Amino acid sequence: MSIGQAILLVLALGAFGLALRRGVPTAQRALRETGQTILRVLPLLVAALPMAAFLAELIPADLAAGWLGPESGLAGIAIASLAGGFIPGGPFVSFPLVLTFIKAGAGGPQMVALITGWAILGFHRVIAWEWPVLGGRFILIRLLASGLLPILAGVLAQWLLPLFPHALVRP
Amino acid sequence: MLRTLRRHSSLAIILSIGLVSGSLVWVLHGPEAFRRALGVAWGVFLTVLPALLAGLLLAGSLKQLIPPGALAKWMGAESGARGLLVATLCGMAMPGGPMAAFPLVLVLAQAGADRGALIAFIVAWALNGFQRVLVWEVPLLGADFALLRFLCGLPLSVIAGAVARRIPVAWVPPGTPEPRA
Repeated sequence: MSIGQAILLVLALGAFGLALRRGVPTAQRALRETGQTILRVLPLLVAALPMAAFLAELIPADLAAGWLGPESGLAGIAIASLAGGFIPGGPFVSFPLVLTFIKAGAGGPQMVALITGWAILGFHRVIAWEWPVLGGRFILIRLLASGLLPILAGVLAQWLLPLFPHALVRP
Repeated sequence: MLRTLRRHSSLAIILSIGLVSGSLVWVLHGPEAFRRALGVAWGVFLTVLPALLAGLLLAGSLKQLIPPGALAKWMGAESGARGLLVATLCGMAMPGGPMAAFPLVLVLAQAGADRGALIAFIVAWALNGFQRVLVWEVPLLGADFALLRFLCGLPLSVIAGAVARRIPVAWVPPGTPEPRA
């Protein structure tokens, strides 16, 4: 178990302890909520992990290294920002994909832009969830306000990368 | 019908892409590569599972401890930069997927949060949600990369919220009887 996982476990047990102090019904609701989420998330995960692994097997390593490599600069950051918007699904899809890109030689700032583009643009999530709940005008305002931010994140990462020499090294 | 489709759209899309890419791997690279990919997927699953279960317990407990209505008064149109910061913090603390986050955005909107705060909340949730960073990004991509990515994303939600307040497109939350002044 890594340090991050240990911290998370402590936080989870702490929060559950607080819920328990509010009374047994509160704790029961928390457990029921947790169980429902597990039932919802687990099928997604079981479907998404093989998908990410298959895609990684299919995507030629030199594609990621070339178009999104450390030498691709601002153009690579822009391509990655837009491409991120087309990654479907949640973190169970995007992060395994990014991991395979990094192993294939993609650049750090480009991967920061890819994740940011996925999170902010995420067209699949916008169509499936944001549009039905909040409406088209809201999406227009939000995309006008945040559409270019993935590129900004990539540029910031380019500046900060020298401070993180181990960012692209897997433990 | 539409609701069922929407609820399971992620699963359907993922399964379709998985079937197509799996068949392609089998045909192009042979059954050996197919089995190797499945082995990789199984390994990632075992790595992620403990963190996932802990993260979901945290999310389930926090949801009982923090009533959503208590957050709204901090995020109105007059809340200024402080409102955007509060919205950012709430977005980062918001666990769960879009099925939980967007309905909550609607609740906040009808309780008086303005568009800048709502957009800061969405961007912070999507980009820097603690649960997502801790459950997925740190275990899969390593703490160094996750920290770099997190730092680069930190200012974006406030920028997005501040820009959104200046965009001259009228919007009222769905379900509001008349536009607020």
